[in-house]
Amino acid sequence: MKNSQNEPTLKVGLIGCGGRGRGALDNVLDAAPNVQVTALADMFPDRIALARKNLTAKPGFKVTDENCFTGFDAYKRLLDSGVDYVAMCQPPGFRPLHFEAAVEAGKHCFLEKPVAVDPVGCRRVIAAGEKAKEKKLGVIPGTQSRHSRRFIETVKRIHDGQIGEVLEGYIFFNTGYLWEYERKPEQSDMEWQIRNWYYFDWLSGDHIVEQHVHQIDATDWVMKSHPIQAVAVGGRQMRVEPLYGNIYDHFAVDFEYPGGAHVFSMCRQWKGQGVGGFIAAWYVGSKGTAYLHHPSKEKAGSITGQNPWKYEGDETPSTVQEHRDLIESIRAGKPINEARRIAETTLTSILGREAAYTGKVVKWDELMKSDLDLSPAKYEFGPNPVRPVRVPGKNA
Amino acid sequence: MTKPLSRRDFVKTGSAATAAFVASVPLVHAAGQDKTISVGVIGCGGRGRGATEDIMNAAEALKPAANLRVVALGDMFKSGIDGTRRQHREKALFKVTDENAFVGLDAYKKVLDAGVDLVVLATPPGFRPIHFAAAIEAGKHVFFEKPVAVDPVGVRKVMEYGKKAAEKKLGVVTGTQRRHEKCYLEMMKRINDGAIGEVVAGRAYWNGGGVWAPHARQEGQDDVSYQIRNWYYYDWLCGDHIVEQHVHNVDVMNWALKGHPLRAVAVGGRQSRTAPEFGHIWDHFAVDFEYPNSVHVLSMCRHWNNTPGNVSEALVGTKGRAMSTSGRCSIDGAEKWRSDPQQRNPYVQEHMDLLESIREGKPLNEAQQIAESTLVAIMGREAAYTGKAISWDEILNSNLSLMPEKLELGPLPVRPIPVPGKPR
Repeated sequence: MKNSQNEPTLKVGLIGCGGRGRGALDNVLDAAPNVQVTALADMFPDRIALARKNLTAKPGFKVTDENCFTGFDAYKRLLDSGVDYVAMCQPPGFRPLHFEAAVEAGKHCFLEKPVAVDPVGCRRVIAAGEKAKEKKLGVIPGTQSRHSRRFIETVKRIHDGQIGEVLEGYIFFNTGYLWEYERKPEQSDMEWQIRNWYYFDWLSGDHIVEQHVHQIDATDWVMKSHPIQAVAVGGRQMRVEPLYGNIYDHFAVDFEYPGGAHVFSMCRQWKGQGVGGFIAAWYVGSKGTAYLHHPSKEKAGSITGQNPWKYEGDETPSTVQEHRDLIESIRAGKPINEARRIAETTLTSILGREAAYTGKVVKWDELMKSDLDLSPAKYEFGPNPVRPVRVPGKNA
Repeated sequence: MTKPLSRRDFVKTGSAATAAFVASVPLVHAAGQDKTISVGVIGCGGRGRGATEDIMNAAEALKPAANLRVVALGDMFKSGIDGTRRQHREKALFKVTDENAFVGLDAYKKVLDAGVDLVVLATPPGFRPIHFAAAIEAGKHVFFEKPVAVDPVGVRKVMEYGKKAAEKKLGVVTGTQRRHEKCYLEMMKRINDGAIGEVVAGRAYWNGGGVWAPHARQEGQDDVSYQIRNWYYYDWLCGDHIVEQHVHNVDVMNWALKGHPLRAVAVGGRQSRTAPEFGHIWDHFAVDFEYPNSVHVLSMCRHWNNTPGNVSEALVGTKGRAMSTSGRCSIDGAEKWRSDPQQRNPYVQEHMDLLESIREGKPLNEAQQIAESTLVAIMGREAAYTGKAISWDEILNSNLSLMPEKLELGPLPVRPIPVPGKPR
């Protein structure tokens, strides 16, 4: 990094002080010199308090009481607090709204993935991304694999033809359960849903969108395109209690890409006796196979076949690297803007979800034009009925 | 240049050699002789009635025509027998008398004792291993519908009796009719000849809307009778739809990849067809089957009403892709090929192939092949039911048996719907 010691201090505000938000602050402070965290926003005061407690010892963490904001409009006040760079780690359902406001306010943005939960949200992110471009604002999403040397080097070789024509891909995100948040008697629907956000479609977009987007994004990268269409299965077979809202616990999607290549995606959040996890991504070509992700260290970042190769470089934590890349680009006056790209790969994840939810063959171009909007009638604490769990073939 | 001998040539030229074992093998005789082949049908539901029609049509289509008669029927319910007799009573080859129509759980034994040479086994799949073993013990040629079992214990029994059938020179053909369908045979020949290069991936689909609606429970009907009547929706009878239907597509994968998968990882559940009358089977599965050499097959099957269907397979090679569905196969890539739309009904062809092989003294024996394909489907089901990665060796040696310990009419509680990670 050239001359960055002399750069003006970059003031960072965080919207959404949950686990990922606290991690993102840690990452951004490690990413570059002359970076300060100056403001926090969250729906709930206890989340702010936890973030301050966890990060207080970190040099560069300079958050005062005056710059801590809570409630539905906390993001607006944070944007008015003199920050230059906003890390957005709120539940994904809020991302389009907050991103629009941040661009309006002229802030550089780090957007956690996914950036929306529905096509309407994806289009809002694309539009705001275009405005950000006009304003020369940097926008980078938290799909950290795009900033991992291992991924970059492997994908570069795929694009150079080392595995020939890419014929078929396989992506897996089979994990256990995450966290859950039990409802307290005094909590309104809205408060409980936001605290337990993972399990509500309008907040998380379901786990295929919230988590599996990493590999779906990598796949669109490898394929240099989004898919044409998807056919899927999915359901809720294990995690069926009301605590788990209205999302599914498993999906399997057959994504069809231009030229006839198919990518088989499987993701599940299942636990119990003998239930195995599996996180992997690989692509089979006419001359070999490239592994991006794999539980086997020998396979992760490797190519087999006619042009065998293994990535031997370091494994820079890409959650730090992504901030470093964004900050460097801002300081160089050539801000990266990946808003469209992440909105499109978010839509690819939504494509898989909707193919399962409806049972239909869903086309990417049609979905991009869809009016599907999961956002609630009102952003306020109070009643917010949970939509029924989706049943394929019904009301589709 | 010497042409390799066809099966027919071999029989012609090898008549002296074949004569040695003719006596011990039913129905083997020189061409032109006109020994009657008596057929018994065990399981007279829709498929049993269809197979009865198909084997009669096959006999007539052979040149010379086979002297075949359908002479005995067995079913759990009288309605199945009556329906079959009604449907086929006008047909010349259908000669079932009242004395040779048997009802009940032991009807199969009576059919086997009724002087038949060949049996069609078309009961719910859960019974297949028992009926197959009894048929081979009794020295009958067998046409048995797919799948041939619902659990590994049943699969092993079919493998065992398949070997006995070979020793006894009995013909065994199964209802995976794609193996006898012209367009599939031509496609596989082209793939074997390198038309798509090395096969590096496959996909198999049975996305459909489901099968027949459950029958209402009759007053006083016991659990076992009710479940057999509604057999599709009970694991011990049907094996779940991944086994009962999707076995067709899985079988095509085994065929193309010349073996079976080593490992399966799956998802699945019951999301659309949830009412209690649909028993305890699931309505969707998706399986990642890993074959040798890191070749993976995407398998997807679902019974989701009001959604678009797709029953097909795809094979992906380094030089092209092959796509197949009943009646239509194609290859694109370095070589372009479209199958001839004219072909014989494969449901008739499979019986012709069986009858011809018996006639020629070289009976086909597909027992091991269909037992393996059935086991692949079971492996996918169990990977989904349990959430575990299931290896071939694990499923092949598994003690899982879904058949009630003592099969008799009476109470039979329905096992809970499978939940991954929870022992059933």
